[in-house]
Amino acid sequence: MNPLLEIANLEKNYRERKVIHGISFSVFPGEILCLLGPNGAGKSTTINVLTGALGHSAGSIAYKGIPVKKNSRAFKGEIGIVPQELSLYEDLTATQNIRFFCSLYGIKGKELSEKTDVAIRFAGLEDRAKDKVKTFSGGMKRRLNIACAIAHDPELIIMDEPTVGVDPQSRNHILDSIRELRSKGKTIIYTTHYMEEVEEISTRILIMDHGKIIAEGTKEEIKERLAGDRELTVEYEAASPVDAGGFMNIEGVRKVTPIPEGVKISSESGVENIDRIVALLMGAKAKISNITCRKASIETVFLQLTGTTLRD
Amino acid sequence: MYEFKQIVRLDFINLITNPMWVFFSTAFPFLMVLILGFLSSSDWGKSVTAYDYYGITMMIYAALNTATISANSFMEERIKGGNLRIIHAPVGPFAIHFSKVIASFAFGTVCHLTTGMALHFAAGVHYGTTGLAGALAIIVLLEFFASALGVLLCCVFRSESAANQILSLVITLLAILGGLFFRVDGLGSSAERLSGFFPVKWVCTALFALVWDNDPSLLAPATAILLVASAAFVAASSMIFHTEDYI
Repeated sequence: MNPLLEIANLEKNYRERKVIHGISFSVFPGEILCLLGPNGAGKSTTINVLTGALGHSAGSIAYKGIPVKKNSRAFKGEIGIVPQELSLYEDLTATQNIRFFCSLYGIKGKELSEKTDVAIRFAGLEDRAKDKVKTFSGGMKRRLNIACAIAHDPELIIMDEPTVGVDPQSRNHILDSIRELRSKGKTIIYTTHYMEEVEEISTRILIMDHGKIIAEGTKEEIKERLAGDRELTVEYEAASPVDAGGFMNIEGVRKVTPIPEGVKISSESGVENIDRIVALLMGAKAKISNITCRKASIETVFLQLTGTTLRD
Repeated sequence: MYEFKQIVRLDFINLITNPMWVFFSTAFPFLMVLILGFLSSSDWGKSVTAYDYYGITMMIYAALNTATISANSFMEERIKGGNLRIIHAPVGPFAIHFSKVIASFAFGTVCHLTTGMALHFAAGVHYGTTGLAGALAIIVLLEFFASALGVLLCCVFRSESAANQILSLVITLLAILGGLFFRVDGLGSSAERLSGFFPVKWVCTALFALVWDNDPSLLAPATAILLVASAAFVAASSMIFHTEDYI
């Protein structure tokens, strides 16, 4: 399948400081590509460069095989952007906001009215369509922020943390809407900090840090490849004479961490060794009170790749 | 062009629906002329009244203040978010900043001409007979000059509050050196020579000559100065305005 968007060796410098270091990736039609990374990883800069709002220092961006630089106005017309900040006119109604932003894509007359109605329904704002945005809740504004970006029916939609600060109901609505967009054949690039959203909607993930792509693949591939470890937590009575170091002799065990309640064992996934771990504990006459086995999540992978140091 | 018209239309709506700007551009100059005219009526004669004098000078001052309106139409907090989204739309950067000039110009012109008419009927302010068209042309061009100046300062400082602080200084300076509220020659010959470099002085002198003496000799230089300065401001805005700076 030919990529819809192809980014090659993209670099962005702010004066002497390089914020994007020659990243390359492709976006394929119909996928939801989630861009993950801690604060300052370069996600928003990448998004802004992709949308043409920021220039780039080196590399190329091609949309449907055509370099964007040569045809940036046409490219902007074919994409929809959901900015991280709420980008709405508070004194206008929801309908007026959508009509205005949609009209900037050359849409007028009956078509403009029809597309506005579709976008209002998409945002679930039928009852509040004629109300001023300043009377809306945070979740409603977020939904309208998305509606303004999709009203002109773009093929590629780029969303920069569209669910920041919304209640669970609005978040569910937004995630359902994104799935609905995909079912209609739209391609979505989505940045977020919420790992559960990535687990829920992504078809492919890019993890960025320090302006570089540090992992790429489907969520299953990333979990398998990068956090192949299965985490087993065994709780037993403190008095039990268990030699925690003995677990390291069991095939597949990578790391053993004693915890107050017992021990935490990281083990290579795919190696069936729980029986041997339990046997070791039984042999040491440990009184086991609980065993939990947890497969790695995207969050585990994310923290493993980007570290746990605070980012500002 | 359709997209540009849509932006101008919205910018105009954003201004006309802001009660503070409407008050500032209509009721404020109207009341100021009535108050100043009443207070100083005894100092003026019958052929040219205090209302006539302040009717013109306040109109020039109000037109200059269109600069603060255009700065606000660009980056006022209430509309900044929406304006920023336009950067992502398929419109060129020129359309983004020039639309603010056009919308503020239209808003200022409508408000101030309405105020001028109201002053004519309420206080008998005289705006000329044969010189009326020329006087109106100068006022309208001054509105454009001020709109372009406000947007230029917004592009330079990238902040509405910084632009407004500088603008209030610039407008005051232009008004004083332009001889809007008192004669500059009272400040000495150097100040008088200096005032010749400021467009407001030319506008002021040209308007007085047109309205009171039916003398159109200064119409052409005043018009040319305003046109050239406005074109320079728009060109400078185009050079300074980069969408990158607002992301």
